[in-house]
This record gives sequence, C-alpha cells and structure tokens, in this order.
Amino acid sequence: MRKQFRDTAMDLSLRDDRTVMLFGDVSVYLFKEFQDKYPDRFYNLGICENTMISAGAGMSSQGLIPFIHTITPFLTERSFEQIKLDMSYNRLSGNILTCGATFDYAWDGATHQCYTDLAILSMLPNLEVIQPGSRKELDVLLRSQYANDKCTYYRLSDKPHAIDLPAEFGKAVVLKDVGAKMTIMTAGPILANVLPAVQDLDVNLVYFHTIKPIDRNAIIKFKETKILVVHDAFGLFEAISRVGGLSAEYYGLPEDKFCDTYGTLEQIRQDVGLDVKGIREKARGFLNCK
Amino acid sequence: MEKNLGGMCKAIRKDILHISKASGHGHIPTCFSIVEILVALYSTVRHDPKKPKWEERDLVVLSKGHGALALYAVMARFGYFDIKDVEKFGSFKTIFGCHANRLKVPGVEVSTGSLGHGIGVAVGMALALKIKKSARQVYVVIGDGESNEGTVWEAVLAAESQKLDNLTIIYDDNRSHPRGLQITNPSEKFAAFGCSVSRVPGHDLNELSKAICSPNHGKPRVVVADTIKGCGSKTMMSDVYAWHRRSPSDAEYPILLKEIDEMAV
Repeated sequence: MRKQFRDTAMDLSLRDDRTVMLFGDVSVYLFKEFQDKYPDRFYNLGICENTMISAGAGMSSQGLIPFIHTITPFLTERSFEQIKLDMSYNRLSGNILTCGATFDYAWDGATHQCYTDLAILSMLPNLEVIQPGSRKELDVLLRSQYANDKCTYYRLSDKPHAIDLPAEFGKAVVLKDVGAKMTIMTAGPILANVLPAVQDLDVNLVYFHTIKPIDRNAIIKFKETKILVVHDAFGLFEAISRVGGLSAEYYGLPEDKFCDTYGTLEQIRQDVGLDVKGIREKARGFLNCK
Repeated sequence: MEKNLGGMCKAIRKDILHISKASGHGHIPTCFSIVEILVALYSTVRHDPKKPKWEERDLVVLSKGHGALALYAVMARFGYFDIKDVEKFGSFKTIFGCHANRLKVPGVEVSTGSLGHGIGVAVGMALALKIKKSARQVYVVIGDGESNEGTVWEAVLAAESQKLDNLTIIYDDNRSHPRGLQITNPSEKFAAFGCSVSRVPGHDLNELSKAICSPNHGKPRVVVADTIKGCGSKTMMSDVYAWHRRSPSDAEYPILLKEIDEMAV
C-alpha cells in the first residue's frame, strides 16, 4: 500500500505544487524518485514525530498541503497532543499517513504495534479517519480528501486485501444483504479473512473504509439485526455503537492485554482468532446464540 | 501607536495589572518578563494591525502561551483591537482566553497553551516560507521553563537541519527553571545546536531590536533575552512563586501601580 501512496502522491504533486512530504526516516528510499523530481517538496525530518506534526501544521497555515508519514504508533500515540492541538484545535489541515497498522510489524512486538489510532483520532474534531483496505481504496480516498480543509488520517497497511470494491469517502459497502438476522461489520485489510469466513453463512456483510465520519445510514439499515463487529483495531466498534439502540458485539483484539507474541501477521491473527477459521467459528457461534 | 516605547511598556504593564485584577486571571510575572520582547518584535517586524491577514506580514508566535495577556496588551497598543475589549479576559464567551486562540483573536498566528508546541509550528511556517521562496520572517517566543520540553529541542534540531535562517527564536530566560529542570548556559546549548546566538538584556528595547535583526549567517537566529520574572514590580520580583498565577487585591493594586511608575525599566 505504501507503493500506492508513492504513486498517488507522485501524481497529485504533478498537478498540485502545494504538496509537501514530511517523512520520519521511513519509506525514504521508496520515495527516491519523488525526491529526485521534487527536491524542495520532500523532507526527511528524522525521528521526531512530534515536530513533524507541528511543522506540518505550520506548513498548512502557510497554504501548503503536508503529507506526514512514519510508523503508526509513533505518529499517532506519541504525537497525539500535537495532532490534537496543532492540527485539530488550530483547525489546520493536512494528511497523516502511517504504516505498520495493528500487527503489520508482528515480529517487532508490542512497541511497534498499534490498535488505538483509529479510536483516539476519531475523538478529535475536524479530523477524518480512513482505514483503506486495498490499494485502490487508498488511491481513490487520498485523491478525494488530500486537499480539503480537514486533517485526514490514513492508516496504511503492508497487507492490503485485493478485493475490488467501490470506494467513496464516507460510504460503507454492503457486500451481502440477504435479509439475515445477523450482520457482520468490518473494516480495512482484515476483510481478506472476514469475507471467506462468512461468505456462505446466513449473514449480511457491511464493510467500511471510512471510520470517521461513519456511514450511519448503512448501520441504521441493519439496526434491527444482531451486529457482530469484526475488526483488528479499536475504533470501528465505537463508531458503530454511537448510532445507538443497536445490539452489537465486538470480536477482535483480546481484552485488556497486549498482543505481545512475536511472529508473522498471519500467526498473530491466528493466535487471537482473527484468521479465517477463528472468525468463522465466532460467526457461527454468534448465529447459534439465542 | 506611542513613539515613546519605554513609556508604552509601562502602560502595557498597567494594562496587564488592571485586566488581571478585573478578571482574576493571568500569569502576571511571566507577562511582565516578555513586555519588552513583544514590543521590540511588534515595532520591528512587518505587520499591519488593520490587516491582520496581510499576505506579506511576518509571523509572530507566542509559544509560551500562558503569556497571552501580555500578547493581547501589546497587540492592543499596536492597534489590533481596543484594550477595553480585553477586560473580559478569560470570561465566558470572550474571544480573549487565558491562552490565545488564533481563530478568535485577529493577529494571533497560532493557538498555544500546552508548552513546546508553538516552536514546532513556527519551524513548519519557516520551512513553508522557504519553499515558497518568500522573504517573510518567523519569530517565536519561548520560555526557559517551556524548554524543559523535549519538543523544543526537536524543533531547534529540525530548524538547524533545514537551515531556517528566516526563523528567530527569542528565549525568555526569566529563570523560572529553579522550579523545574535547570537550563544553564542556554546560549551555549543553542550554539551547540548550530544556531546563530546573541544574548541581550531582555528589558532593553534597543538591544532586543538590534538582536532580532542581527546577521545570522544562514542559521536559525536565537536571541537569549536575560529577563526578570515580574520585571516592573519589586513585589512580584521578590516572590515570583506566590505571584505565578495570582491577581492583585484592591489593597495591593495601587501599590503595584506605583511600583511600575517608579521602576526604571
């Protein structure tokens, strides 16, 4: 998905000379062509996430459009106050794009994992929160949102799904509407496991790439069904629950503990039950629940 | 605008005192320590109080946001708004909060309050102006207490690495640091970070004005201003801790006004 970020940013920068990349010593080589082409619009500020966000806000105040990029926990959890005050409270705009979502860096352990970003950033005013699941979704949503008057957060994943779906900002995708009494709701790359897990079950399936603003209409449509939110992060369930009056349950991350097992993304997903088998078992159990 | 800037500084201190007494808010000692710094800035930089969004203006950022009352009092004297409007300082629905909001107060460039933020935003502003090949300058006022924050030094490092010679950092060295981490020899520290550093008496308008425009040899400019917390009031200077966030009583007010009149600042 980072390659898609590069390609889209490259194309946008060709047409819009307000774009500026601020990188935290990550993905720098990937953007070598960009640097060669636009040397005055690419800055590797080093490992100083707080200053990257503050500086991005300052650039925005002067009419430029920053694309701020580094690893998810460092840019969102460490620099939460910079995003809150310098971007959100000052009502400045820009694009924050992170890599290393949830277990993408499984082998690096809990220091490099991040489950909270979607949830905590969704609480900030004037911020849009996007979890593109595929390269196409990133391309479409980045193009549509990069130059608006908001700060937009994009959670990139190194393991996108390859399912071709419509991508329109703020619009959920109903993958299955079979009039079932149970609806699975999910977001982002984990769809690659959710879809095969529930495809032949008697459930509806709704997919989100935009966490904030959440597509309330898509949720309300299935309000009378039992909702199972399958997600490998915090934030989607909370956004859905704000609709109110739902019978909704969360399935995904373990409660009140770090996923501190090393390994691969697939191994950790299996460990916490977010592999195809684990999701299917949970969905079937949910279906059988009275 | 008054031509007698020394007289203006006394009048500004009285405004700060009056508004703090009327509102019950404000960090008077920290405000008194930056009066000359702000007056020197606003009498030096390019700006137009009647056109706060003038596209060719220089940018002034008060990173030590708790000095907002001093900023308002100085901006009022320079014609941005009427000082009477500031009397509602900190009250319900006023635009003049105890920390300034750029979306509410004309001429305020960045909303600050939490320390260690404004300087990073100023670095981004300076970098943006460089990219746009603009001659405009960015000035940011930080405090010595604020410089306990690691983000201050991150920002200085970034400013030096990007050769931001359009950025001037004014370091209000009012020695609040005994309460926290002490920053000894700030000039050496900024110089070690690669900045062009000068050190001046922080209540001397001429020295401040000269330092703000001094040659900086392609580097970020740092002016270490030796200031006194509560400068202008011997009562406050003698007990800055007690006065850190306190407004004068009816009995104290005339005494403090007299001290301002008598102070040879």
